[in-house]
Amino acid sequence: MKLFGIRTSRTSRGWFLYRVLPVLLAIFLAASWAQPTSAASKENYEALRLVTEALYEISHKFVWKKGEEEIIYGSLRGLMNSLDPDSSFLTPQEYQQVLSGQKGPVAEAGLDLIYKDNLLTVVSAMEGGAAWRAGLRPGDHILKINGQLVRNLTTQEATRRFQGKAGAVLNLQVLRNGLIKPLDLSVTLEPLTPEEVTKKILKESFAYIRIPYFTPETTGELSGALKQLQRHRPPLRGIVLDLRNNARGSLDLAVRAASPFLGDKEVVSTRGRPPEPNQTYNGRAREEVFRPGLPLVVLVDGGTARAAEALAGALRDQCQAVLLGAKTVGLCGLTKILPLQDGSALVMTVAQCYTPQGQKIHGKGLEPQVPGKTPAPAATSATPPAKLPPEQDPWVAQALEILISGKIPTIAEKAEAR
Amino acid sequence: MTARMKIWGAAGLLLILGLCWGLSLAGSAPADADFRDTPLHLAAMPEYLSPEADAKLRVLSQALALVEDQYVEPKTPKDLIYGAIQGAVSILDSHSSFMTPEEYRELQIETKGKFSGIGIEITMKDRILTVVSPIEGTPAYRAGLQAGDQIVKINGTPTKNISLTEAVKMIRGPKSSKVTLTINRQGFTEPKDFSIVREIIPIRSVKARIVDGGIGYIRLANFQDQTDQDLQNYLKKMRQRLTPFKGLVLDLRNDPGGLLEQAVRVANEFLNSGLIVYTEGRTPQQSMRFFAHPGGKTEVPGPMVVLINEGSASASEIVAGALKDQKRAIIVGSKSFGKGSVQTIIPLEDGSALRLTTALYYTPNGTTIQDKGIIPDVVVKEPEIPKDKSLQKLREESLSKHMRKEGITDKPWSQPITAQELDQDPQLKRAVEILRHWPPKKMALQPQ
Repeated sequence: MKLFGIRTSRTSRGWFLYRVLPVLLAIFLAASWAQPTSAASKENYEALRLVTEALYEISHKFVWKKGEEEIIYGSLRGLMNSLDPDSSFLTPQEYQQVLSGQKGPVAEAGLDLIYKDNLLTVVSAMEGGAAWRAGLRPGDHILKINGQLVRNLTTQEATRRFQGKAGAVLNLQVLRNGLIKPLDLSVTLEPLTPEEVTKKILKESFAYIRIPYFTPETTGELSGALKQLQRHRPPLRGIVLDLRNNARGSLDLAVRAASPFLGDKEVVSTRGRPPEPNQTYNGRAREEVFRPGLPLVVLVDGGTARAAEALAGALRDQCQAVLLGAKTVGLCGLTKILPLQDGSALVMTVAQCYTPQGQKIHGKGLEPQVPGKTPAPAATSATPPAKLPPEQDPWVAQALEILISGKIPTIAEKAEAR
Repeated sequence: MTARMKIWGAAGLLLILGLCWGLSLAGSAPADADFRDTPLHLAAMPEYLSPEADAKLRVLSQALALVEDQYVEPKTPKDLIYGAIQGAVSILDSHSSFMTPEEYRELQIETKGKFSGIGIEITMKDRILTVVSPIEGTPAYRAGLQAGDQIVKINGTPTKNISLTEAVKMIRGPKSSKVTLTINRQGFTEPKDFSIVREIIPIRSVKARIVDGGIGYIRLANFQDQTDQDLQNYLKKMRQRLTPFKGLVLDLRNDPGGLLEQAVRVANEFLNSGLIVYTEGRTPQQSMRFFAHPGGKTEVPGPMVVLINEGSASASEIVAGALKDQKRAIIVGSKSFGKGSVQTIIPLEDGSALRLTTALYYTPNGTTIQDKGIIPDVVVKEPEIPKDKSLQKLREESLSKHMRKEGITDKPWSQPITAQELDQDPQLKRAVEILRHWPPKKMALQPQ
């Protein structure tokens, strides 16, 4: 501001003219090399002008002065957030941590979150995990973390907030549907206790299998469980596979976990924007355990994401499994880290997952063929109901009805345009 | 080509650039406790583009280019830019925001105090879209719509399963355009179509009643373009009707505020001199003082009580603060919201806009309202909301309250408020008692 009086407007303009504008133009116009039409570059130029104008106003007029870096990093976060919950921004420090080969967190809350539409939402909470015991449930919106309002986080950053030293306490303000006042919950971080695949024989030789989340051990546990169950006498008549509230696991874990069911058939494919190649992922024949033709109902809900979604889609398309429950999250893409010139980096979705029949999962989610009858019990109090054993679970009961009646709805869902 | 050519090219662009900046700044429209911005000179620009800012801006350009090129789905530059601006704004305070062109237009409608529609209040009654009442003098009124009419279709679209907001959106539209409502009414053998031409409908922010014993009651719903004029009209009418005019209750409960300029004008109606409010911002342009002036108003001769609650914010707090500090009124109710900042709306060249917190304001005594609120002289609590009531239920109730035109102001202004009505509103009842027994014992100790 002091410069106002000293600099004449002409020299200032000159400074801008010679130094800044050509640089900006060169960069942004070069960026539009892919679309060499002048219309595209004009659009780019206008967009850049708009953002420069907005940032200029923010930098100059906001009542408390903010650093340039904070403003730009804020806008980069906003940019990546507006794409999809998997896309994210890394500050130089964060990117360095990634490069140095980050170890897994010592302790965490056992939560999977997404930041979408300016809201931090719990996608799934691991049963028995720290967050679950503290009373957090899928669908909860986290408004404040340790008194600080949640604003413009990326999904990845939010996830990091819930990791740290064992014993660290996070005080949360949580908004739950149906409640007027936000809940105050506190979560103590703890080392993640490995959750195993569980199995159970329900009535009439029907079995229940639950995969809580995907780890490298999941495939072994799953095929062990399948082998044991299929040895059951009288012979097994069908399986209910529970993939609800399961949002953790990468694509390769999904592919491996699918092998016991479908051998070397296609599990999932990824498609990117040309020239990004499309890729098909198949399971391994020697890991196949599942007796083909055994009726299968897969339970999914609004907490089913990533590996669980890919597996659910594969079982539906390749094993005639019936999906029962509620629509899945639609979070199943491949990301790539792209470094920027100042040492920060973008995490960007470059390809999206499709089921073997060519239905897009990412961004859309999978619609179950059979909607769950009773809506997933909406916890409307601070003390949500404990997890029901499968025998008392209304959706498991509904799945059993389908299996017992043998009336498995034929797959009516058509594969979307390939 | 040669260096000279490049410079010329850039100079041409700069001219356009400068023009656009100049225009958008000059066109800054104040809203929500705002200031009209003084146009900045182009000379200020390079200051932002300090070497640091320049480098950071280059990072942003690089990121935009990468996303445009490699993100899995093609995105237009505009999609990306809006996300980026939204992100930059979200590092600021919670009152700062970015508005898309559509959101900005909606805001302008709200603050201008008028919109284009047909002039009916509607509600969902037993899940059927129902007319609460046509507003007198509007196209809906002239077309013969009546309270209780059921709206079966809007422009041929069945209203089953649509929300109230959707319905409002469908009924509103540009001036002189036509909307067709299919109406079911008791006595109709079959639903009838009413084609109605939309007009500009004023939104009234001021409502009034009187209380026996020469006391006036005025309620402000918000502070928009016409609030001061509407207020003046009611004060004039009250002076004629109430002889003697013994006192006034100014009800600012649940008034979320609005234009700063209007807050100053409303306070000026009741004050003849002295400071009303002052603001302090980062630039001298954002630091201003507003004084009351005598003349050009209807004097309210008697004492005043201002009603506030947790829903009184911003402009409401400016008025309450000025009248409190200048000892013009006694403040009754519960602590106000505590929003002590001023936002300026800065339109951007594509029709979108920034709402930025540009200053803090202070009451004449120099107290900030930020987070503290205005503490009433006489605290009268509101009935508590039962804890187990769901948000949905509460919303419906408040909506139906709103649709009933807020109870007390439902009736004509000249009809005195009854004892029963006062019993339902303990805060108002207390305010009236204070005015009836003026001066209050406790308050009498304070210098008047």
